[in-house]
Amino acid sequence: MNVIDLLTRTAATFPDKAALIHQEQRISFGELWSAVSRLASRLQQLNLAPGSRVAILFENSIDYAVSFFAVFESGLVAVPLDTSLGPENHNFILADCQASVLLVQGRYRRHLGRILGDNLSLRLLVSDKPVAVPGSTVAVETFEEIGVRDVRVDPPAVPESAGDDTHHHELAAIFYTSGSTGSSKGVMLSHLNLVSNTLATVEYLRLTPDDSVLVILPFYYIYGNSLLLTHVAVGGTLVIDNRFMYPEVVLDTMEREEVTGFSGVPSNFMILLNNSTFASRKLEHLRYFTQAGGAMAPEVIRKLMDAFGHKEIFIMYGQTEAAPRVTWLPPEKLSEKLGSIGIPVPGVTVEVLSESGQTVIPGETGEITVVGDNVMLGYWNQPEETAEVLHDGRLYTGDLARVDEDGYFYVVGRKREIIKTGGHRVSAKEIEERILEHEKVAEATVFGVRDDILGEAIRAVVVLRPGCQADEKEIQSHCQKKLAAHQIPKRVQFMDALPKYQSGKVNKMALKNRDS
Amino acid sequence: MAATDIDTVRQQIREFVFETFLFGDESEAFANDDSFMEKGIIDSTGVLELTAFLEERYGITVDDEEMVPANLDSVDNLAAYIGRKQQ
Repeated sequence: MNVIDLLTRTAATFPDKAALIHQEQRISFGELWSAVSRLASRLQQLNLAPGSRVAILFENSIDYAVSFFAVFESGLVAVPLDTSLGPENHNFILADCQASVLLVQGRYRRHLGRILGDNLSLRLLVSDKPVAVPGSTVAVETFEEIGVRDVRVDPPAVPESAGDDTHHHELAAIFYTSGSTGSSKGVMLSHLNLVSNTLATVEYLRLTPDDSVLVILPFYYIYGNSLLLTHVAVGGTLVIDNRFMYPEVVLDTMEREEVTGFSGVPSNFMILLNNSTFASRKLEHLRYFTQAGGAMAPEVIRKLMDAFGHKEIFIMYGQTEAAPRVTWLPPEKLSEKLGSIGIPVPGVTVEVLSESGQTVIPGETGEITVVGDNVMLGYWNQPEETAEVLHDGRLYTGDLARVDEDGYFYVVGRKREIIKTGGHRVSAKEIEERILEHEKVAEATVFGVRDDILGEAIRAVVVLRPGCQADEKEIQSHCQKKLAAHQIPKRVQFMDALPKYQSGKVNKMALKNRDS
Repeated sequence: MAATDIDTVRQQIREFVFETFLFGDESEAFANDDSFMEKGIIDSTGVLELTAFLEERYGITVDDEEMVPANLDSVDNLAAYIGRKQQ
């Protein structure tokens, strides 16, 4: 089965059911299928080689879903772009993946010149609004011109079989994410990776066509993508609300649309519990919560249980490289196993291995490794980075954990320097490299410090060149030009020298402990 | 705390937003009626910094149910909200 089969089957079975709701806009599965077909027809007219890349730059919206599935219907590869990245980052990704098409929301039109830059691979740009890119020879069209807005519905016939598996090992999508050693890496996920993990998630969440999820997580983020695929797979409804900066608005949407599920990262739950009327709302139709995207402190989980312990709370763990779901904690075990990330999801084998490659005994710490149909194909054009994490038939996650007597996993640390802040995965090294590009900076080190809202906040410690003066704002402003908003250090401190080990490596632990 | 002149409040809010979320970058201009949400100037954690600033600077308490766009989502909305709270 390929990713598009998830939509085809649901559109055939439930053509009139609401697929996506976004404020006043609604689209049924039949209408979604029709829009997807029309956009796919246009993409197929380009006669691109199978597996050519199509970048998608849209906020969560019906148009995002149309774009995403149209790419699969065309036999092409989807490259969702993080909308919070700057135009230079988008330009880098378009070049890195050699995208042939860019599907872009009109709100980004003033950045298109920089996004395209000197790009040579793009053949077509399609937008939801008329846009122009001065100086570019790329063809530009709108959804309207292509006929995507036509309301006529032609749902597909109900498939007779489960779908053709001939191509399920082929590349379906590339999700760019931060790596441990610098710039973004494209995680290559096959149809099998995505479909197998989607169906496993549907199984343990017990999703049915009666389910609907309130979506605040971006679809370009693998956790948000999982919401899209699971609910399309099962015939559930996605209720999109992009206004989480005002949580009361989102809570009103949850009540009005009678959603059955809500998914968030730790900072979402912290804000809801501490800075909104969430805990006092009845949310009668809500059946479950899911939480992933970093460790949520036990005291926060307890607060959530105090407010909504009568509902199912699923704590989950995963990473983009695993499409993404690796483990889940059955809600009925939450109290007993508080702090645990649970047990492997169906169809996935998880083993915690010591440095010597042996499976650890209960109480021992080792690295979480994953074997399963969900494990990525590798990093796009980065064979060495791929070999670092994919070897011996396993995905080495870089997360350290222990296992208890019942086989439940507990994350205890991280092997590589990734900071998980506000649900975003951020490379400390990438930020260090950008800070070092400032002419006044001699040395820089970046690490995560515990933060009540974000989980981890980014801290930078800088040594300036002799005779130079700079303040926190200057360094942050420099970072703002080169990094996404969530990558900008929340605090920048200055020292005359960084503490170091004998090897010369910076002693980040000493710096972290200094403040605690 | 005595009520502050609305133009002064607008200016103070602009300075806070400019310094805190735009890091003093003069190329990132915004109008008083621009939506912070639409322009992507502030995110969900940034709103908490904003409300902390309002409470400290203007001596008001921002109730959870008041954290809505009508009160907070532009310089103009904020100035009007502070004016109402200070009466």
